[in-house]
Amino acid sequence: VTVVLIRAGIVAVVLAGWEIAARVGSPLLYVPPSAAVPALRDLLLLRSYPDLLEHLLLTVHEILIAYGLAVAAGLAVGFALGLYRTLGRAYGPILAALYAVPAVVWYPSLMLFFGLDAASKIAFGFLLGFFPITLAVLAGIRQVNPQLVIVARAFGARPLTIFLKVLVPAMLFTLVGGLRTGAALSVVGVIVGEILGSKAGMGALINHAYGLLRTADYVALVVVSLAVIVATDGAASLLERRARRWTE
Amino acid sequence: MIGAAVRPARDRARIVGLQVASLVVVLAAWEGLARAGWVDPLFVPTPSAVARSVPSLGGVAMSGLADTLAKTAAAYALSIVFGVAGGLVLGGARTLDQTLRPFVVALYGMPKILVLPWIVLLLGYGSVPAVVYGTLHGFFPILVLVSGAVRDVDGHLLTVGRAFGARPWQLYLKVVLPAIVPAVLAAMRLGVVFCLLGVLVVEMFAGVRGMGSVMGALANGFRAPELFAATALVSLASIVIVLALDALGERLSRWR
Repeated sequence: VTVVLIRAGIVAVVLAGWEIAARVGSPLLYVPPSAAVPALRDLLLLRSYPDLLEHLLLTVHEILIAYGLAVAAGLAVGFALGLYRTLGRAYGPILAALYAVPAVVWYPSLMLFFGLDAASKIAFGFLLGFFPITLAVLAGIRQVNPQLVIVARAFGARPLTIFLKVLVPAMLFTLVGGLRTGAALSVVGVIVGEILGSKAGMGALINHAYGLLRTADYVALVVVSLAVIVATDGAASLLERRARRWTE
Repeated sequence: MIGAAVRPARDRARIVGLQVASLVVVLAAWEGLARAGWVDPLFVPTPSAVARSVPSLGGVAMSGLADTLAKTAAAYALSIVFGVAGGLVLGGARTLDQTLRPFVVALYGMPKILVLPWIVLLLGYGSVPAVVYGTLHGFFPILVLVSGAVRDVDGHLLTVGRAFGARPWQLYLKVVLPAIVPAVLAAMRLGVVFCLLGVLVVEMFAGVRGMGSVMGALANGFRAPELFAATALVSLASIVIVLALDALGERLSRWR
Protein backbone atom coordinates (compact mmCIF):
# COMPACT_ATOMS: atom_id res chain seq x y z
CA VAL A 1 0.00 0.00 0.00
CA THR A 2 2.81 2.40 0.86
CA VAL A 3 4.41 1.71 -2.53
CA VAL A 4 1.15 2.63 -4.26
CA LEU A 5 0.97 5.82 -2.22
CA ILE A 6 4.54 6.73 -3.13
CA ARG A 7 3.78 6.07 -6.79
CA ALA A 8 0.71 8.29 -6.62
CA GLY A 9 2.87 10.90 -4.91
CA ILE A 10 5.41 10.77 -7.73
CA VAL A 11 2.69 11.24 -10.33
CA ALA A 12 1.26 14.17 -8.37
CA VAL A 13 4.66 15.81 -8.00
CA VAL A 14 5.43 15.40 -11.71
CA LEU A 15 2.07 16.86 -12.70
CA ALA A 16 2.41 19.75 -10.26
CA GLY A 17 5.96 20.46 -11.38
CA TRP A 18 4.82 20.37 -14.96
CA GLU A 19 1.96 22.77 -14.24
CA ILE A 20 4.27 25.26 -12.54
CA ALA A 21 7.03 24.97 -15.11
CA ALA A 22 4.55 25.38 -17.96
CA ARG A 23 3.00 28.49 -16.40
CA VAL A 24 6.39 30.04 -15.68
CA GLY A 25 7.74 29.07 -19.09
CA SER A 26 5.44 29.02 -22.06
CA PRO A 27 1.95 27.51 -21.62
CA LEU A 28 1.75 27.14 -25.39
CA LEU A 29 4.90 25.02 -25.65
CA TYR A 30 4.67 23.04 -22.44
CA VAL A 31 0.89 22.58 -22.17
CA PRO A 32 0.14 22.51 -18.44
CA PRO A 33 -2.24 19.74 -17.30
CA SER A 34 -4.83 22.41 -16.49
CA ALA A 35 -4.93 23.26 -20.20
CA ALA A 36 -4.76 19.65 -21.38
CA VAL A 37 -7.83 18.50 -19.44
CA PRO A 38 -10.31 20.93 -21.06
CA ALA A 39 -8.76 20.15 -24.45
CA LEU A 40 -9.29 16.46 -23.82
CA ARG A 41 -12.92 17.15 -22.86
CA ASP A 42 -13.45 19.15 -26.05
CA LEU A 43 -11.88 16.38 -28.07
CA LEU A 44 -14.01 13.65 -26.50
CA LEU A 45 -17.17 15.74 -26.95
CA LEU A 46 -16.16 16.03 -30.62
CA ARG A 47 -15.90 19.80 -30.42
CA SER A 48 -12.30 20.30 -31.54
CA TYR A 49 -12.21 17.45 -34.07
CA PRO A 50 -15.76 16.43 -35.05
CA ASP A 51 -14.44 13.61 -37.24
CA LEU A 52 -12.34 12.06 -34.44
CA LEU A 53 -14.22 8.76 -34.57
CA GLU A 54 -13.63 8.24 -38.29
CA HIS A 55 -9.90 8.79 -37.89
CA LEU A 56 -9.73 6.59 -34.81
CA LEU A 57 -11.59 3.79 -36.58
CA LEU A 58 -9.33 4.09 -39.61
CA THR A 59 -6.25 3.72 -37.43
CA VAL A 60 -7.72 0.72 -35.61
CA HIS A 61 -8.70 -0.78 -38.96
CA GLU A 62 -5.16 -0.37 -40.31
CA ILE A 63 -3.73 -1.93 -37.17
CA LEU A 64 -6.04 -4.94 -37.36
CA ILE A 65 -5.23 -5.66 -41.01
CA ALA A 66 -1.48 -5.14 -40.48
CA TYR A 67 -1.46 -7.44 -37.47
CA GLY A 68 -3.57 -10.10 -39.15
CA LEU A 69 -1.19 -10.21 -42.09
CA ALA A 70 1.83 -10.22 -39.78
CA VAL A 71 0.45 -13.18 -37.81
CA ALA A 72 -0.38 -15.18 -40.94
CA ALA A 73 2.94 -14.51 -42.66
CA GLY A 74 4.99 -14.74 -39.46
CA LEU A 75 3.57 -18.14 -38.53
CA ALA A 76 3.91 -19.46 -42.10
CA VAL A 77 7.49 -18.30 -42.56
CA GLY A 78 8.48 -19.23 -38.99
CA PHE A 79 7.19 -22.78 -39.26
CA ALA A 80 8.58 -23.23 -42.76
CA LEU A 81 12.06 -22.15 -41.64
CA GLY A 82 11.84 -23.95 -38.32
CA LEU A 83 10.60 -27.30 -39.58
CA TYR A 84 12.75 -27.59 -42.70
CA ARG A 85 16.37 -27.56 -41.63
CA THR A 86 17.85 -26.55 -44.95
CA LEU A 87 15.46 -23.64 -45.40
CA GLY A 88 16.10 -22.50 -41.85
CA ARG A 89 19.86 -22.63 -42.18
CA ALA A 90 19.78 -20.80 -45.49
CA TYR A 91 17.25 -18.05 -44.77
CA GLY A 92 17.45 -17.77 -40.98
CA PRO A 93 20.69 -15.73 -41.06
CA ILE A 94 19.28 -13.46 -43.79
CA LEU A 95 16.23 -12.82 -41.63
CA ALA A 96 18.41 -12.10 -38.60
CA ALA A 97 20.53 -9.65 -40.62
CA LEU A 98 17.41 -7.83 -41.84
CA TYR A 99 16.19 -7.65 -38.24
CA ALA A 100 19.41 -5.75 -37.38
CA VAL A 101 18.30 -2.97 -39.72
CA PRO A 102 16.12 -0.25 -38.16
CA ALA A 103 12.81 -0.95 -39.87
CA VAL A 104 12.07 2.69 -40.58
CA VAL A 105 14.57 2.64 -43.48
CA TRP A 106 11.94 0.72 -45.46
CA TYR A 107 9.24 3.28 -44.86
CA PRO A 108 10.09 5.80 -47.64
CA SER A 109 10.09 2.98 -50.20
CA LEU A 110 6.77 1.69 -48.89
CA MET A 111 5.34 5.20 -49.05
CA LEU A 112 6.54 5.57 -52.62
CA PHE A 113 5.09 2.20 -53.60
CA PHE A 114 1.80 2.23 -51.68
CA GLY A 115 1.13 5.95 -51.59
CA LEU A 116 0.02 8.17 -48.74
CA ASP A 117 -3.17 6.23 -47.95
CA ALA A 118 -3.80 3.35 -45.60
CA ALA A 119 -1.87 0.75 -47.64
CA SER A 120 1.58 2.10 -46.75
CA LYS A 121 0.70 2.17 -43.03
CA ILE A 122 -0.62 -1.38 -43.19
CA ALA A 123 2.53 -2.49 -45.00
CA PHE A 124 4.76 -0.88 -42.38
CA GLY A 125 2.75 -2.23 -39.44
CA PHE A 126 2.90 -5.64 -41.08
CA LEU A 127 6.66 -5.43 -41.51
CA LEU A 128 7.24 -4.47 -37.87
CA GLY A 129 4.92 -7.16 -36.54
CA PHE A 130 6.18 -9.88 -38.85
CA PHE A 131 9.74 -10.15 -37.52
CA PRO A 132 9.10 -10.81 -33.81
CA ILE A 133 6.43 -13.39 -34.66
CA THR A 134 8.69 -15.25 -37.09
CA LEU A 135 11.62 -15.16 -34.68
CA ALA A 136 9.43 -16.35 -31.80
CA VAL A 137 8.26 -19.33 -33.85
CA LEU A 138 11.87 -20.18 -34.67
CA ALA A 139 12.95 -19.84 -31.04
CA GLY A 140 9.94 -21.87 -29.89
CA ILE A 141 10.66 -24.75 -32.24
CA ARG A 142 14.25 -24.83 -31.05
CA GLN A 143 12.99 -25.22 -27.47
CA VAL A 144 10.89 -28.28 -28.20
CA ASN A 145 12.48 -31.40 -26.81
CA PRO A 146 13.28 -33.60 -29.84
CA GLN A 147 12.64 -36.70 -27.71
CA LEU A 148 8.96 -35.80 -27.57
CA VAL A 149 8.77 -35.75 -31.35
CA ILE A 150 10.66 -39.04 -31.65
CA VAL A 151 8.42 -40.75 -29.10
CA ALA A 152 5.29 -39.44 -30.77
CA ARG A 153 6.53 -40.66 -34.14
CA ALA A 154 7.43 -44.05 -32.66
CA PHE A 155 3.84 -44.35 -31.47
CA GLY A 156 2.71 -43.77 -35.01
CA ALA A 157 1.50 -40.18 -34.74
CA ARG A 158 1.02 -38.45 -38.08
CA PRO A 159 2.87 -35.22 -38.89
CA LEU A 160 -0.26 -33.14 -38.36
CA THR A 161 -0.93 -34.78 -35.01
CA ILE A 162 2.67 -34.21 -33.94
CA PHE A 163 2.38 -30.61 -35.01
CA LEU A 164 -0.85 -29.93 -33.15
CA LYS A 165 -0.44 -32.12 -30.08
CA VAL A 166 3.31 -32.01 -29.44
CA LEU A 167 4.97 -29.09 -31.15
CA VAL A 168 2.49 -26.28 -30.65
CA PRO A 169 1.75 -26.96 -26.95
CA ALA A 170 5.46 -27.30 -26.18
CA MET A 171 6.32 -23.95 -27.76
CA LEU A 172 3.17 -22.05 -26.88
CA PHE A 173 4.83 -20.00 -24.17
CA THR A 174 7.39 -18.46 -26.53
CA LEU A 175 4.92 -18.25 -29.39
CA VAL A 176 2.40 -16.25 -27.40
CA GLY A 177 5.10 -13.87 -26.23
CA GLY A 178 6.09 -13.27 -29.85
CA LEU A 179 2.49 -12.70 -30.87
CA ARG A 180 2.15 -10.08 -28.17
CA THR A 181 5.36 -8.28 -29.14
CA GLY A 182 4.20 -8.42 -32.74
CA ALA A 183 0.91 -6.77 -31.80
CA ALA A 184 2.68 -3.95 -29.98
CA LEU A 185 5.00 -3.38 -32.94
CA SER A 186 2.21 -3.47 -35.51
CA VAL A 187 0.53 -0.69 -33.55
CA VAL A 188 3.78 1.29 -33.48
CA GLY A 189 4.31 0.75 -37.18
CA VAL A 190 0.90 2.05 -38.15
CA ILE A 191 1.22 5.12 -35.92
CA VAL A 192 4.76 5.90 -37.05
CA GLY A 193 3.58 5.61 -40.63
CA GLU A 194 0.69 7.96 -40.01
CA ILE A 195 2.86 10.56 -38.33
CA LEU A 196 5.56 10.44 -41.02
CA GLY A 197 2.99 11.21 -43.68
CA SER A 198 -0.73 10.60 -44.07
CA LYS A 199 -4.03 12.19 -44.92
CA ALA A 200 -6.22 10.43 -42.37
CA GLY A 201 -5.98 8.57 -39.09
CA MET A 202 -4.86 9.56 -35.60
CA GLY A 203 -1.36 10.37 -36.84
CA ALA A 204 -2.76 12.78 -39.39
CA LEU A 205 -4.80 14.53 -36.66
CA ILE A 206 -1.73 14.73 -34.45
CA ASN A 207 0.26 16.27 -37.30
CA HIS A 208 -2.57 18.69 -38.01
CA ALA A 209 -2.75 19.88 -34.40
CA TYR A 210 1.03 20.14 -34.22
CA GLY A 211 1.29 22.02 -37.50
CA LEU A 212 -1.23 24.62 -36.35
CA LEU A 213 0.44 24.89 -32.92
CA ARG A 214 -2.77 23.68 -31.29
CA THR A 215 -0.61 22.10 -28.62
CA ALA A 216 -3.38 21.43 -26.09
CA ASP A 217 -5.34 19.56 -28.76
CA TYR A 218 -2.16 17.71 -29.67
CA VAL A 219 -1.74 16.53 -26.08
CA ALA A 220 -5.40 15.46 -25.97
CA LEU A 221 -4.97 13.47 -29.19
CA VAL A 222 -1.86 11.79 -27.79
CA VAL A 223 -3.80 10.83 -24.65
CA VAL A 224 -6.58 9.27 -26.73
CA SER A 225 -4.06 7.37 -28.89
CA LEU A 226 -2.32 6.13 -25.76
CA ALA A 227 -5.64 4.93 -24.36
CA VAL A 228 -6.20 2.87 -27.51
CA ILE A 229 -2.69 1.44 -27.30
CA VAL A 230 -3.00 0.58 -23.61
CA ALA A 231 -6.37 -1.09 -24.23
CA THR A 232 -4.88 -3.19 -27.06
CA ASP A 233 -1.95 -4.20 -24.93
CA GLY A 234 -4.22 -5.03 -21.99
CA ALA A 235 -6.30 -7.32 -24.17
CA ALA A 236 -3.15 -8.95 -25.53
CA SER A 237 -1.72 -9.56 -22.07
CA LEU A 238 -5.04 -11.08 -20.96
CA LEU A 239 -4.91 -13.54 -23.87
CA GLU A 240 -1.26 -14.22 -23.11
CA ARG A 241 -2.02 -15.11 -19.49
CA ARG A 242 -4.86 -17.37 -20.59
CA ALA A 243 -2.67 -19.26 -23.05
CA ARG A 244 0.03 -19.67 -20.44
CA ARG A 245 -2.36 -21.03 -17.87
CA TRP A 246 -3.59 -23.49 -20.47
CA THR A 247 -0.09 -24.87 -21.08
CA GLU A 248 0.66 -25.39 -17.42
CA MET B 1 12.73 -32.43 -39.64
CA ILE B 2 14.71 -32.95 -36.47
CA GLY B 3 17.73 -35.21 -36.19
CA ALA B 4 19.56 -36.79 -39.17
CA ALA B 5 23.32 -36.46 -39.03
CA VAL B 6 24.83 -34.66 -42.02
CA ARG B 7 28.39 -34.19 -43.17
CA PRO B 8 29.16 -30.59 -42.14
CA ALA B 9 31.30 -29.42 -45.06
CA ARG B 10 28.96 -30.56 -47.81
CA ASP B 11 25.99 -29.33 -45.85
CA ARG B 12 27.54 -25.91 -45.48
CA ALA B 13 28.31 -25.67 -49.19
CA ARG B 14 24.71 -26.56 -49.96
CA ILE B 15 23.42 -23.85 -47.62
CA VAL B 16 25.62 -21.14 -49.10
CA GLY B 17 24.72 -22.32 -52.58
CA LEU B 18 21.04 -22.05 -51.74
CA GLN B 19 21.52 -18.54 -50.32
CA VAL B 20 23.41 -17.31 -53.38
CA ALA B 21 21.02 -19.02 -55.79
CA SER B 22 17.93 -17.52 -54.17
CA LEU B 23 19.50 -14.07 -54.21
CA VAL B 24 20.27 -14.40 -57.92
CA VAL B 25 16.78 -15.72 -58.65
CA VAL B 26 15.13 -12.87 -56.75
CA LEU B 27 17.22 -10.22 -58.51
CA ALA B 28 16.71 -11.83 -61.93
CA ALA B 29 12.96 -12.19 -61.42
CA TRP B 30 12.76 -8.60 -60.20
CA GLU B 31 14.72 -7.32 -63.20
CA GLY B 32 12.62 -9.43 -65.55
CA LEU B 33 9.29 -8.39 -64.08
CA ALA B 34 10.25 -4.72 -64.15
CA ARG B 35 11.50 -4.91 -67.75
CA ALA B 36 8.42 -6.81 -68.89
CA GLY B 37 6.32 -4.04 -67.42
CA TRP B 38 4.63 -6.16 -64.75
CA VAL B 39 5.58 -3.64 -62.10
CA ASP B 40 5.78 0.06 -62.73
CA PRO B 41 9.45 1.09 -62.86
CA LEU B 42 8.39 4.44 -61.49
CA PHE B 43 7.77 2.73 -58.13
CA VAL B 44 9.90 -0.40 -58.34
CA PRO B 45 13.06 0.25 -60.33
CA THR B 46 15.06 -2.60 -61.83
CA PRO B 47 18.12 -3.72 -59.86
CA SER B 48 20.30 -2.52 -62.74
CA ALA B 49 18.74 0.95 -62.54
CA VAL B 50 19.38 0.97 -58.79
CA ALA B 51 23.02 0.08 -59.40
CA ARG B 52 23.34 2.78 -62.07
CA SER B 53 21.94 5.40 -59.68
CA VAL B 54 24.66 4.85 -57.09
CA PRO B 55 27.20 7.31 -58.64
CA SER B 56 24.67 10.14 -58.93
CA LEU B 57 23.65 9.53 -55.33
CA GLY B 58 27.21 9.19 -54.04
CA GLY B 59 28.13 12.55 -52.50
CA VAL B 60 24.72 13.40 -51.02
CA ALA B 61 24.29 9.96 -49.55
CA MET B 62 27.77 9.84 -48.06
CA SER B 63 27.49 13.19 -46.30
CA GLY B 64 23.96 12.31 -45.21
CA LEU B 65 25.07 9.00 -43.84
CA ALA B 66 28.01 10.59 -42.03
CA ASP B 67 25.65 13.12 -40.46
CA THR B 68 23.21 10.43 -39.39
CA LEU B 69 25.93 8.22 -37.94
CA ALA B 70 27.43 11.15 -35.99
CA LYS B 71 24.05 11.85 -34.37
CA THR B 72 23.57 8.15 -33.73
CA ALA B 73 26.97 7.95 -32.05
CA ALA B 74 26.09 10.86 -29.76
CA ALA B 75 22.69 9.35 -28.91
CA TYR B 76 24.32 5.97 -28.37
CA ALA B 77 26.95 7.32 -26.00
CA LEU B 78 24.28 9.15 -23.98
CA SER B 79 22.05 6.05 -23.91
CA ILE B 80 24.85 3.87 -22.61
CA VAL B 81 25.98 6.33 -19.95
CA PHE B 82 22.47 7.02 -18.64
CA GLY B 83 21.22 3.50 -19.19
CA VAL B 84 24.07 1.74 -17.40
CA ALA B 85 24.19 4.30 -14.58
CA GLY B 86 20.42 4.15 -14.13
CA GLY B 87 20.50 0.37 -14.33
CA LEU B 88 23.15 0.16 -11.60
CA VAL B 89 21.12 2.46 -9.33
CA LEU B 90 17.76 0.78 -9.96
CA GLY B 91 19.13 -2.75 -9.82
CA GLY B 92 21.00 -2.03 -6.59
CA ALA B 93 18.20 -0.32 -4.67
CA ARG B 94 15.37 -2.77 -4.21
CA THR B 95 12.72 -0.39 -2.87
CA LEU B 96 13.44 2.27 -5.47
CA ASP B 97 13.29 -0.36 -8.18
CA GLN B 98 9.93 -1.71 -7.02
CA THR B 99 8.48 1.77 -6.73
CA LEU B 100 9.62 2.97 -10.12
CA ARG B 101 9.22 -0.22 -12.14
CA PRO B 102 5.71 0.47 -13.47
CA PHE B 103 6.87 3.89 -14.70
CA VAL B 104 9.90 2.40 -16.42
CA VAL B 105 7.79 -0.33 -18.05
CA ALA B 106 5.19 2.20 -19.19
CA LEU B 107 7.77 4.59 -20.63
CA TYR B 108 9.66 1.75 -22.29
CA GLY B 109 6.52 0.37 -23.89
CA MET B 110 5.00 3.66 -24.93
CA PRO B 111 5.34 4.40 -28.65
CA LYS B 112 7.74 7.32 -28.51
CA ILE B 113 6.63 8.60 -31.88
CA LEU B 114 3.70 10.26 -30.09
CA VAL B 115 6.00 12.71 -28.32
CA LEU B 116 8.13 13.35 -31.40
CA PRO B 117 6.15 16.41 -32.59
CA TRP B 118 6.53 17.92 -29.14
CA ILE B 119 10.28 17.27 -29.04
CA VAL B 120 10.71 18.91 -32.45
CA LEU B 121 8.57 21.84 -31.31
CA LEU B 122 10.77 22.36 -28.27
CA LEU B 123 14.17 21.69 -29.79
CA GLY B 124 13.82 22.93 -33.35
CA TYR B 125 14.92 21.39 -36.60
CA GLY B 126 18.63 20.83 -36.00
CA SER B 127 20.62 17.86 -34.76
CA VAL B 128 19.53 18.20 -31.12
CA PRO B 129 16.04 16.68 -31.44
CA ALA B 130 17.51 13.74 -33.38
CA VAL B 131 20.07 13.07 -30.64
CA VAL B 132 17.45 13.44 -27.89
CA TYR B 133 14.95 11.20 -29.63
CA GLY B 134 17.63 8.62 -30.49
CA THR B 135 18.71 8.62 -26.83
CA LEU B 136 15.12 8.14 -25.75
CA HIS B 137 14.97 5.03 -27.95
CA GLY B 138 18.29 3.57 -26.84
CA PHE B 139 18.07 4.42 -23.13
CA PHE B 140 15.15 2.26 -22.01
CA PRO B 141 16.21 -1.15 -23.34
CA ILE B 142 19.67 -0.61 -21.83
CA LEU B 143 18.19 0.51 -18.51
CA VAL B 144 15.87 -2.49 -18.32
CA LEU B 145 18.51 -5.06 -19.28
CA VAL B 146 21.20 -3.67 -16.98
CA SER B 147 18.94 -3.19 -13.95
CA GLY B 148 17.68 -6.75 -14.42
CA ALA B 149 21.24 -8.06 -14.54
CA VAL B 150 22.23 -6.15 -11.39
CA ARG B 151 19.15 -7.49 -9.63
CA ASP B 152 20.08 -11.04 -10.59
CA VAL B 153 23.67 -10.86 -9.31
CA ASP B 154 24.20 -13.88 -7.08
CA GLY B 155 23.39 -12.76 -3.53
CA HIS B 156 25.84 -15.24 -2.03
CA LEU B 157 28.74 -13.55 -3.77
CA LEU B 158 27.75 -10.24 -2.21
CA THR B 159 27.30 -11.80 1.23
CA VAL B 160 30.67 -13.51 1.06
CA GLY B 161 32.32 -10.34 -0.19
CA ARG B 162 30.78 -8.36 2.64
CA ALA B 163 31.78 -11.00 5.18
CA PHE B 164 35.36 -10.63 4.03
CA GLY B 165 35.13 -6.93 4.70
CA ALA B 166 34.80 -5.64 1.14
CA ARG B 167 33.58 -2.06 0.92
CA PRO B 168 30.58 -1.13 -1.21
CA TRP B 169 32.72 0.29 -4.01
CA GLN B 170 34.86 -2.83 -3.96
CA LEU B 171 31.75 -4.99 -4.23
CA TYR B 172 30.63 -2.95 -7.22
CA LEU B 173 33.98 -3.12 -8.94
CA LYS B 174 34.85 -6.75 -8.24
CA VAL B 175 31.50 -8.53 -8.06
CA VAL B 176 28.71 -6.56 -9.68
CA LEU B 177 30.48 -5.12 -12.71
CA PRO B 178 32.03 -8.38 -13.94
CA ALA B 179 28.73 -10.15 -13.40
CA ILE B 180 26.73 -7.76 -15.57
CA VAL B 181 29.16 -7.61 -18.51
CA PRO B 182 27.12 -10.02 -20.69
CA ALA B 183 23.94 -8.04 -20.09
CA VAL B 184 25.65 -4.75 -20.84
CA LEU B 185 27.03 -6.17 -24.09
CA ALA B 186 23.59 -7.47 -25.09
CA ALA B 187 22.10 -4.10 -24.23
CA MET B 188 24.74 -2.28 -26.29
CA ARG B 189 23.98 -4.46 -29.31
CA LEU B 190 20.25 -3.87 -28.97
CA GLY B 191 20.63 -0.19 -28.17
CA VAL B 192 22.54 0.84 -31.28
CA VAL B 193 19.76 -0.24 -33.63
CA PHE B 194 17.22 1.64 -31.51
CA CYS B 195 19.38 4.79 -31.54
CA LEU B 196 19.79 4.67 -35.32
CA LEU B 197 16.06 4.11 -35.66
CA GLY B 198 15.26 7.13 -33.52
CA VAL B 199 17.67 9.39 -35.41
CA LEU B 200 16.31 8.28 -38.79
CA VAL B 201 12.70 8.83 -37.70
CA VAL B 202 13.44 12.41 -36.63
CA GLU B 203 15.30 13.08 -39.86
CA MET B 204 12.36 11.77 -41.86
CA PHE B 205 9.87 13.75 -39.80
CA ALA B 206 11.67 17.06 -39.59
CA GLY B 207 15.18 16.63 -40.91
CA VAL B 208 17.09 19.17 -42.87
CA ARG B 209 20.18 16.99 -43.02
CA GLY B 210 21.04 13.34 -42.65
CA MET B 211 20.08 10.14 -44.38
CA GLY B 212 16.48 10.15 -43.18
CA SER B 213 15.77 13.50 -44.82
CA VAL B 214 17.65 12.43 -47.97
CA MET B 215 15.43 9.35 -48.21
CA GLY B 216 12.30 11.35 -47.50
CA ALA B 217 13.19 13.80 -50.26
CA LEU B 218 13.91 10.98 -52.71
CA ALA B 219 10.54 9.38 -51.93
CA ASN B 220 8.68 12.66 -52.36
CA GLY B 221 10.53 13.27 -55.64
CA PHE B 222 9.62 9.80 -56.96
CA ARG B 223 13.29 9.02 -57.50
CA ALA B 224 12.89 5.33 -56.87
CA PRO B 225 16.31 4.03 -58.03
CA GLU B 226 18.18 6.48 -55.80
CA LEU B 227 15.79 5.74 -52.92
CA PHE B 228 16.40 2.00 -53.18
CA ALA B 229 20.15 2.58 -53.33
CA ALA B 230 19.99 4.82 -50.25
CA THR B 231 17.89 2.25 -48.39
CA ALA B 232 20.41 -0.45 -49.21
CA LEU B 233 23.25 1.79 -48.06
CA VAL B 234 21.70 2.53 -44.65
CA SER B 235 20.77 -1.13 -44.17
CA LEU B 236 24.30 -2.18 -44.98
CA ALA B 237 25.76 0.37 -42.56
CA SER B 238 23.45 -0.86 -39.80
CA ILE B 239 24.32 -4.52 -40.39
CA VAL B 240 28.04 -3.70 -40.38
CA ILE B 241 27.71 -1.82 -37.08
CA VAL B 242 25.84 -4.67 -35.43
CA LEU B 243 28.34 -7.25 -36.68
CA ALA B 244 31.20 -5.11 -35.39
CA LEU B 245 29.55 -4.88 -31.98
CA ASP B 246 29.04 -8.65 -32.03
CA ALA B 247 32.73 -9.17 -32.69
CA LEU B 248 33.64 -6.70 -29.96
CA GLY B 249 31.29 -8.43 -27.53
CA GLU B 250 32.78 -11.80 -28.27
CA ARG B 251 36.23 -10.45 -27.60
CA LEU B 252 35.22 -8.82 -24.32
CA SER B 253 33.43 -11.90 -23.03
CA ARG B 254 36.47 -14.01 -23.84
CA TRP B 255 38.59 -11.57 -21.83
CA ARG B 256 36.18 -11.96 -18.95
